[in-house]
Amino acid sequence: MPTATSTTATATNTSTTATSGILHRLFSTDQDVKLKALRQLKNQIIGNRTKKLSFLKLGAVPSVAAILAEAVLADDGDRNNSFNKNVIVQSAAVLGSFACGFDAGVQAVLAAGAFPDLLRLLSNLDEKVVDAGARSVKMIYQSKLAPKYDFLQEKNMEFLLSLLNSESETVSGLGASIITHSCKTSVEQKILFDAGVLKKLSSLLEGSLSQKDSSLESLATIFKDNPEVVLKFVGSESGRALSSIIELVKDKFARTRLLASLCLIVIRNTSPCYLQDIAVKTKLVNTLLELLGDPGQVGDEASFALSSLIVQKEDMQKLAFENNAIDKLYCHLQKDSLNPRRFEGILLALADMCSKLECCRSRFLSSQVLNSVVDAVAHDSADVRSAACICFKSVARSIQNLSAGSFLTEAVVIPLVRVLDDPSTSVQVAALGVISNIVVDFTARRSIFIKCGGVKQLVQLSKSMDAAIRLNALWALRNLMFQAESKCKEGVFMELTASLLASLICDPEPFVQEQALALVRNLVDGCISSVEYVFAEDGIILDAVGRQLQSALKAEIGIQGMYVLSNVATGEEFHKEAVLNQLIPHAETGSQAYIIKFLQSNDSRLRTAAVWTVVNLTNSLSPGAVDRLEILRGAGIVSQINNMQNDPCLDVKLRVKTALGQFKTLDTCLSHTFLWRLPLAGYITLLSFFFAIKAV
Amino acid sequence: MVDINLKKKEGKRNYLVFRESEINGNEGGDALMSLFWIVIRQLAEIEATMATSKKVITREEWEKKLNDVMIRKEDMNKLVMNFLVTEGYVDAAEKFRMESGTEPDIDLATITDRMAVKKAVQCGNVEDAIEKVNDLNPEILDTNPQLFFHLQQQRLIELIRNGKVEEALEFAQEELAPRGEENQSFLEELEKTVALLAFEDVSNCPVGDLLDISQRLKTASEVNAAILTSQSHEKDPKLPSLLKMLIWAQSQLDEKAAYPRINDLSTATLEDPAV
Amino acid sequence: MPVRVAESSAPSQVPEAANPGQTSPQACTLLSVGQAFSGTQNVSSLQKEEAWRVNVRIQGCDLEHGYLCGTMEALNVPMADTPVVTFWEGEIVDTKNYTFFTDKWEATSEEDIKHWTKFPSFSPLLNQVEVDGGKSLDLSNYPHIFMRWKEQYFVNVGTDCGLTIAGFYYVCFSCSDGSINGYYYDPNSSPFQKLELKSTNEGRSGFSSSSYELQ
Repeated sequence: MPTATSTTATATNTSTTATSGILHRLFSTDQDVKLKALRQLKNQIIGNRTKKLSFLKLGAVPSVAAILAEAVLADDGDRNNSFNKNVIVQSAAVLGSFACGFDAGVQAVLAAGAFPDLLRLLSNLDEKVVDAGARSVKMIYQSKLAPKYDFLQEKNMEFLLSLLNSESETVSGLGASIITHSCKTSVEQKILFDAGVLKKLSSLLEGSLSQKDSSLESLATIFKDNPEVVLKFVGSESGRALSSIIELVKDKFARTRLLASLCLIVIRNTSPCYLQDIAVKTKLVNTLLELLGDPGQVGDEASFALSSLIVQKEDMQKLAFENNAIDKLYCHLQKDSLNPRRFEGILLALADMCSKLECCRSRFLSSQVLNSVVDAVAHDSADVRSAACICFKSVARSIQNLSAGSFLTEAVVIPLVRVLDDPSTSVQVAALGVISNIVVDFTARRSIFIKCGGVKQLVQLSKSMDAAIRLNALWALRNLMFQAESKCKEGVFMELTASLLASLICDPEPFVQEQALALVRNLVDGCISSVEYVFAEDGIILDAVGRQLQSALKAEIGIQGMYVLSNVATGEEFHKEAVLNQLIPHAETGSQAYIIKFLQSNDSRLRTAAVWTVVNLTNSLSPGAVDRLEILRGAGIVSQINNMQNDPCLDVKLRVKTALGQFKTLDTCLSHTFLWRLPLAGYITLLSFFFAIKAV
Repeated sequence: MVDINLKKKEGKRNYLVFRESEINGNEGGDALMSLFWIVIRQLAEIEATMATSKKVITREEWEKKLNDVMIRKEDMNKLVMNFLVTEGYVDAAEKFRMESGTEPDIDLATITDRMAVKKAVQCGNVEDAIEKVNDLNPEILDTNPQLFFHLQQQRLIELIRNGKVEEALEFAQEELAPRGEENQSFLEELEKTVALLAFEDVSNCPVGDLLDISQRLKTASEVNAAILTSQSHEKDPKLPSLLKMLIWAQSQLDEKAAYPRINDLSTATLEDPAV
Repeated sequence: MPVRVAESSAPSQVPEAANPGQTSPQACTLLSVGQAFSGTQNVSSLQKEEAWRVNVRIQGCDLEHGYLCGTMEALNVPMADTPVVTFWEGEIVDTKNYTFFTDKWEATSEEDIKHWTKFPSFSPLLNQVEVDGGKSLDLSNYPHIFMRWKEQYFVNVGTDCGLTIAGFYYVCFSCSDGSINGYYYDPNSSPFQKLELKSTNEGRSGFSSSSYELQ
């Protein structure tokens, strides 16, 4: 068996002569030779992508388009010339085949100006000609490249209705295809509804197989994200049309079942109040699960449909779980030689299944499916690699397994670190997503990740030009730093450097800023000495935090930034003073301290973070607290806190209470000058006295 | 004269139930249908009474029950018509239509075209079959890569069968290899087919079954099904699935009761229950 | 915390965790992920007085589903050579996901009430809880958070370590100071073993915190 690549080379060579022979004969003056050549060309290209491409390159499309144009003209002159009609049918079929599932072909047919001629065929009196024309136009409309049909023009709408009303299946199918292709906006959806198209499409639901299918597709297009149209449709004829779609979910044809399911999913996702009947929901889930077994395109698409049914919907995920969705998806994943599209779909459906429910994740993990998913991370197709990462990411949300350290093994980490170099950005981002999750490891296994070179890669990616990659790389580093050991922190910090961190805190992208701040927050938590990190290189990081808080664009930045300060403020006197310096604006600017703005924020999480910082700065046990309190008071922060005693958020209220308690202690028990003039022994006595009071 | 007797004149091998059914076709067919419903009903009945021991049903009881079931003759006729149309017995269908007044659910002319395609494959004229399918509806092979591949594969098999080794190799490279690139499972099938060339004595080689006539029949029935689907018609006749249901129903009933069973489907004779 | 084996541990039910990490607002920052607590568990019996030193760390929190989880470490377990660590999952009595009635783990509503009433902060709720388990109460601004902590597995020792995690804890957390009180319940162990924990600040002067976010 020759290898695939070498065969193509020979194939093109040998076929070139035959190919040009046919093309040559297309221009023959002998009409019989010409017609024969057309048929031959048709039979060569149907089903054969390679042939389509080579004929396309040789300029076959404009030639056939010219033959069609000529024949159409001739037909106008002599309507009874059956030979000429046959030329029309054959050339339309050739053009249709070029356009079938082949965008370059569509482009060529459109460029050759054949589209208007094909459209004209629809009004021909000969049934065969109409059929051939409709088929070819339909092929074009199944491509994104087809010209947009303007429903807003009255004559276009009339024409569309005439297509839908046609006796011919191909023609009415074409009408439906046009809708599926061109109806995009809610205005267009509304106009189609008002023109009575829905009624017509509903009646096609009772028609033949192809009519049902194309009607279902168009209906879904008209419903999509348009609750108004859905409402009117569901309400019309007391829901008869809706019930016939529901009925079609049980149709004997797999494709019809899929399309009916997709149509119902669109209705459900557009107007969640409909189709809440458990029997319908179960039927949908089971139909899609069963369609996964279809060997063709329907089976490929079934998993994507399942995803759209369950995505973000816990109730549907639960229902699917109860109907063994995990096992069934796994079973299909196990099959040999899955095509990439199918593989991708199954992985993404598994990802959606495992996105919320722990029961799904544990079912997933109890089968051996994770191994297949990890293998798929190295698949040839980028879509599959990315889907495998997304699937793994979803499963790795299992906190129970993170706690058990189930994910951080060399077998898992090595392939993941490898795809961090992937040429496809979406694969890189997805891989960073998995890593972000699995490094939240509560056992001491993070070293495996570091040993596999993961940190070096993450730091490298945090310098990427692509904001999504920077964001996700930082996200992973931030999670890696959560409760990390000192040694791990040290390694990461050395790799990252203070100046890079400072520049990431000031990244143009707010989401990146947030992750950078959260990373620093985690870095300075834990062992007390880790506070020093923000003071490296003359406090470049702390300055950056202060600067960013000054101009914080979103609450999350304020929250993470305040917690950085709050954590630093649990350190030594020197650290507390540095935080205070960041909080209090310099006299010359005369501006209000940003912390006041945070204390007044609508976001209770931000208020909490800000109050914690004040609490830490005024901790009664530290000697400089009295002075700091005075400075805070001078900046209006104390009175702001005083105003928050009845904060609607319990957490804020309780933290305010703590702060006020500390203020009081500092004010009443110790006077500022008194404290500093005491000898050490007296200081200690005083403190014990203070504790005694507190204890009472 | 009842409608179903027609098959005695026209019938070909495929009429397994009707042609050979005992006494006359009508009783045989009716018996089949009624039996099916009875079994289903009986099943429900038995389940409802929660019988703990196996119930015995005598032939008289059973036949009485059979006779009680009313089946509309039109339905039976439709079933027959469905079979004739799906399997492509156009002449029989035409005669049956005239005699019984049952309208086929498809234009009988299209059957002729479909049968011509099927026959071409069965005779090994695959290229001819492909051209005929494309004349019928160019969409079929353009949107059904698997069928297209199988037809091309059959073409290759025919070339090999006829000893045209060089032509076969060229055809495999030019037409089939690109399909294999598009689809892994095609590539595997292709490799198997090309392996035929490696054996001197193909009748003894492990992939020799590809040269069997059954391979042609398989391909032919695949094309037949695809054309039927493109004409919005079911690709399988209803009758065989009814038979399958009958077998299933009997096996369900076996666990609960002893009754006059049909053991030989080709005769549809009720056999006395073993007590 | 594990107590001595009375019978082998039963398979446990796993509540659903959808959003661990910190995406939804925290009910109380003192109970957020990464926070640590330390104290004792009194395991005294009639024969002898005994208490284990205990450390707890919160690892995951999903308020939307009333879910909390973490580890518990017992330091001076007499029969173990190393500290024994278990992973536990908590149900927060938020009256939406969970009520005061346990409805599983061999706990009757009588047992539930008997344990809850041991917490002084529970007494204002008692009347309503007796009626409907607290379903109609709004606890979102209540300064105490009631929970049930159920240990799921041993992290660092095998199940043959001579300890059992068959029971679960009734827990009361104080939002003001982060103190935790709990009672272990297992029909086969000595009743009302008391857990007392305080929020620790790990050598810092003030409250420090970390966070992670799952994707």
